[in-house]
Amino acid sequence: MSVIAPKFRLGYLIKAITDNIFWIIVLLTLIGLPAVMIVLIYIDFPVIDGEIWNPFRVFDAMTHPERSLPLVKNFMQTDFFKIAVFPGLGFAALIGGGVIFVERKLLAKLQLRVGPFYCGKVEGILQLVADGLKLISKEIIIPAKADKPIFWAAPVLFAATAAAFVALIPVAPGWVVADIDLGLLAVFAVIGFFPIITVLSAWSANSKYPFIGGIRALFQMVSFEIPLILSLLGIVMLTGTLDLVEIIESQVNFPWIIFMPIGAIVFFICILAELERIPFDLPEAESEIVAGWLTEFSGMMYGLVQLGTYIKLYAFAALFVVMFLGGWNGPWVFPIEPIAEVITDGIVIMPGALTVELSGLPLFSQEMINGTIWFVLKTVAVIFFILLPRGVFPRVRIDLLLKIGWYKLIVLAFVNIFIALALVYSGVIGPGGIM
Amino acid sequence: MVGETVAGYSNVLFMFGFAVLALAPALLISRMISPRTKSNPVKFLPMECGQVPSGAGRTHFMMQYYAYILMFVIFDVMAIFLYAWGSTLLDLPKTATLPIIAFLGIMFAAMAFALYQTKRKNIW
Repeated sequence: MSVIAPKFRLGYLIKAITDNIFWIIVLLTLIGLPAVMIVLIYIDFPVIDGEIWNPFRVFDAMTHPERSLPLVKNFMQTDFFKIAVFPGLGFAALIGGGVIFVERKLLAKLQLRVGPFYCGKVEGILQLVADGLKLISKEIIIPAKADKPIFWAAPVLFAATAAAFVALIPVAPGWVVADIDLGLLAVFAVIGFFPIITVLSAWSANSKYPFIGGIRALFQMVSFEIPLILSLLGIVMLTGTLDLVEIIESQVNFPWIIFMPIGAIVFFICILAELERIPFDLPEAESEIVAGWLTEFSGMMYGLVQLGTYIKLYAFAALFVVMFLGGWNGPWVFPIEPIAEVITDGIVIMPGALTVELSGLPLFSQEMINGTIWFVLKTVAVIFFILLPRGVFPRVRIDLLLKIGWYKLIVLAFVNIFIALALVYSGVIGPGGIM
Repeated sequence: MVGETVAGYSNVLFMFGFAVLALAPALLISRMISPRTKSNPVKFLPMECGQVPSGAGRTHFMMQYYAYILMFVIFDVMAIFLYAWGSTLLDLPKTATLPIIAFLGIMFAAMAFALYQTKRKNIW
C-alpha cells in the first residue's frame, strides 16, 4: 500500500459523524435549552383576544399552511429568491449539472461506449455527486511561483461571471433577475470578461501549457466576438429594442429564426467558439497541450471552472432561445383556468398587536409555468445541438479557425444585416407590415 | 428613472456577488477537508508531461496572430456603433441609412485590405 494517501474506511466516517451528532445533542440539552428557558422567564408574552401568545402558539401559527404560504409567496417575489434560486444560480447550476451527466452519457452512446455506469445502480445516475465528492476531497496543488491571489480567484471569478450572464436571461414572464433596457449590450459586456479571466488565470499559473491555452482562448474569443455581436444586429433592427424581454414579446407570432436563418447559424457557430467546444476547443485541446488553460487547476478549482463552463453553456443556449426561438412563447400546455387554492387573496397574520398584512401573491402563475416549460424545452434542444458536434467533428486548425471567423462569419453576419434591411424597407416587417 | 436603471444593473452585480459568496466556500471547505501530504521535490513543479521544467514559465511567446487583435480593437467598436443605428432604425427616415451604408463601405474596404495584406505578406 502507498504511504502517501491515508487509508479510507467507511467505519471511520460513520464514527466521526455519529460523534458529532452525540456532542451536538449533549451540548444543546445541557446548555442550549436552559439558556432559552432563562430568557423566556423574563419576557412578557402579549395577550391578544384574551389568549396568551407563548412561543408554542406563535410557532403553531407560523407553520400552519394558511399562514405560512403567504410568507413563502412573499419570499418568492424577493430579489434574493430570483438571484439564488429560480431564474438565477440554482436553476442554472441544476441545468448545468444535468448537462454534464447527459453529455457524458450521450458521448458514450455516440461512440458505442457505456459511459458512467456504476454510481447509483441505475445507469450511473449519481456520477455527478460522486465526482463532486471526489473533487472537494482532493488536495489543491498550486504550482510553485504561481501568482497565488489571481490563481485562487480565477475559478471563482469565472463561475461568478457566468452567473452574472445568467442574471440577464429572462426565463418566464416577469421572471428575470435583472430587467434592463439595454440587456443585450449588458450581455456583450459580460461576455467580454471571459477572455480576461482566462488570460489572467493562464498567466498566473507560471506554466507553459496554460499560457499557450490562454493565448489561444484569447485569439478565439476575440475572433468570434465580432460575428457574435453582428449576427444579433438584424433582430435589434427589426424589433427596435435592446431589451431582451421586449425581444421575446416581439416573437409571439413567429420566432426570428424564420426570417434570419443565416444570423442564427452564424450565432450558433460563434456560441460553439465562445464556449470552447469541439470543433473549436483549441484552448483546451487535450491531445496537443494537455488541458490548455485548465492544466494547473486541481481539485475543487477545476470543479468550479467546470461548473462555470456549464453555466455559461446554459446561458448561451438560453440567449439563442431568447433571440431566435421565441423564448417562453409557445402553445398552452398548462391549464389556463386558475387553480383556486393556489391563488389566494392574502391574509393578515396575528391581528392585534403584531399585524402583518400579506398581499395575495400567486405562488406560481399559469403563464410562468407554461413559459418555463417552453423555455426549458427549447434550451435543452439547443444544448443538445451544442453537445452533438463533440461526438462527431475533429478539431479545426488555428489558422483555419481565425479564417472562419474573419473571412466567412463576418461576411455572413453582414448578409444577415442586409436581409434585415431588405425586410424593413420592403415593408414585410415594421410599420404597416406583419408586425 | 435613473434610480430604476441603476437598480436593474445592480441586480447583475448582486448575482455576481452571490455567486462569489456561494462558490468560494467550496474552495475553503476543500482546503479544510482535503488531505495535505508532505511536500516532495516534484509536487509543486509546473506540469510539463513528466519532464523537469526548463526555462521560465512566463516567457515571451511569439504572437503570430497579433494583427488580428489590432483589427479586433477597431471592428469591435464598429460593431457596437452599428447597434446605436440599428436599435433606432424603425424611427429614422430612410435617407439616414445611406450614410451608414457609406460607413459600412469604408469599414469593409479597410477590412478587406487588411485581410488581403495578411495573405500577401504571409505573416500570420
